[in-house]
Amino acid sequence: MRVAVAYKWTSDPQEASVGTEGSIDWSRAKAGLSQYDPVAIELARRLADETGGEVVGVTAGAAAAGSPIACKTALSRGVDRLVVVTDDSLGGAGTTAVAEVLAAAVRHIGDVDLVVTGDSSMDIGAKMVPTVLAGLLGWPAVADVTAVTSGGGGVHVEREAPGGVEVLEITGSAVVAATADAAVPRVPGMRDLLAAGKKPVEHLQLSDLGLPDASSQVTVRASSRPDTKVRKGQMIDAADPEAAAGELVSALRLSGAL
Amino acid sequence: MSTDTWIVVGGQPGIANLVEAARSLDASVTAAVVGPRSLADSVAASGVDRVVWFGEDREAPVEAYATSVAAEVAAAEPRVLLGGRHPAERVLLGAVAASLRAVVLTGAQSVSIEGADVVVVQAVFGGIAEQTVAVTGPLALVLDGGAVPPLCDPVPVEEVDAAPMAMTVIENRPSEFEVIDLAAAPRVVCVGRGLKAEKDLTLIESLAGAAKAEVACSRPLAEGLSWLGKDRYVGSSGQHIAPELYIAVGISGQLQHMAGVRDAVTIVAINSDPEAPIFAEADYGLVGDLYTLVPAITDALS
Repeated sequence: MRVAVAYKWTSDPQEASVGTEGSIDWSRAKAGLSQYDPVAIELARRLADETGGEVVGVTAGAAAAGSPIACKTALSRGVDRLVVVTDDSLGGAGTTAVAEVLAAAVRHIGDVDLVVTGDSSMDIGAKMVPTVLAGLLGWPAVADVTAVTSGGGGVHVEREAPGGVEVLEITGSAVVAATADAAVPRVPGMRDLLAAGKKPVEHLQLSDLGLPDASSQVTVRASSRPDTKVRKGQMIDAADPEAAAGELVSALRLSGAL
Repeated sequence: MSTDTWIVVGGQPGIANLVEAARSLDASVTAAVVGPRSLADSVAASGVDRVVWFGEDREAPVEAYATSVAAEVAAAEPRVLLGGRHPAERVLLGAVAASLRAVVLTGAQSVSIEGADVVVVQAVFGGIAEQTVAVTGPLALVLDGGAVPPLCDPVPVEEVDAAPMAMTVIENRPSEFEVIDLAAAPRVVCVGRGLKAEKDLTLIESLAGAAKAEVACSRPLAEGLSWLGKDRYVGSSGQHIAPELYIAVGISGQLQHMAGVRDAVTIVAINSDPEAPIFAEADYGLVGDLYTLVPAITDALS
């Protein structure tokens, strides 16, 4: 089975700082593999091993996504080879633009049986790239997937459903988005890192896929810091736990919260 | 492109926020419904102008209708598409957005029409900033679906022929966790990594019992540790709740967590670290060991 895993090289908003006017400063946020993508790679690796297939990593981003460190990071976690599409216009590109590039790259790879993605990207976190990607490919998609195995001439996909787990059988190619804890990703060792440097990486530009620049259809008119509710901010001295508990409960009753 | 608004409904009836947002745009509102006939009937009485239903098939999951829904909705060339955050809803909306090459936004707090533009105020990057953006459309918005809308006079349900994709439900396994609706709970006690062991959840359950509250948790306790069910996890990618009272125990209050509970009316924070960011967003803060404070508060409530 040829399993593609779509991943993102990006930064964590937790490490970004926000100015008073809502401008975001990413300079102190280190770029890395998006938080949940190792889970997707692990699922893809296990499925490829089960079926005697390969894992092809695919990503779309600005130049940094094609850097040696970015490629090695993905390859050291169990990906066999990479297809990396870079263009300056892809830095900060929206969901649909990214999905269009990924769809073209998946078609370029050819004979892909399954695309696996992580739960969400750590920067935008829309959880929509896999579903738009599936729409563009005309393939079925399932999100919040906890396990994938081969079966029934295709794949068996377990996903969270209200009150339990549902098992779906999908025939033909599909896109699945894993939950954040669908698998425990392997931790690459020195040997994996060395081997990663020898694995093939295909670097593509948008023109190689017949795609135009990813022009943004969104105009930002204003930015701001989020309004935080004005809170009382009343600290209760907890040196004496019982007295503190009593004070808290009275305060909550007095304010009508209890 | 028309000026119409479409709501994509996938399998569940909690769409009140979608209907309200759609109605505020002053355009015709059509709902595309995948799910049982009873769902189509309930949507038909939710205040929309038209309902298109894709038929029933017990074995096909909601997602199997993605291409049928995409074809039907794209043919109408709507300007705005609305869908909920549940996984199957996201799959349907993603397929429609793909057909229309629509811009997709997920953190919208308000949406309005200004001339040729759809203007959205949205939280970005997990809620660390807000932006006002203009899109010429088509635009697909993922929103919290909200409650089941109140019933009003129904419109007819139009059934269209659909060809489900090759996917079937072959098994259902019930969860070991009880199903809860955290968003509906007026009081919530939420526990985080400050709790040292799973067995200590009894402390939290006792406090919740005394406060007549539901138990919730931060992400690591539901994902990874699996001490509690995932429908109890509060945060930017989990539950977004706005209870009357939120008691955060052993939670530092990182941005991603607070994005799920920022609208709570009253926030109480209990944490051993006086520097924890949660204190800056709390109405009442207690710095100390949860293992002594939680039982003390439980006693004070009882």
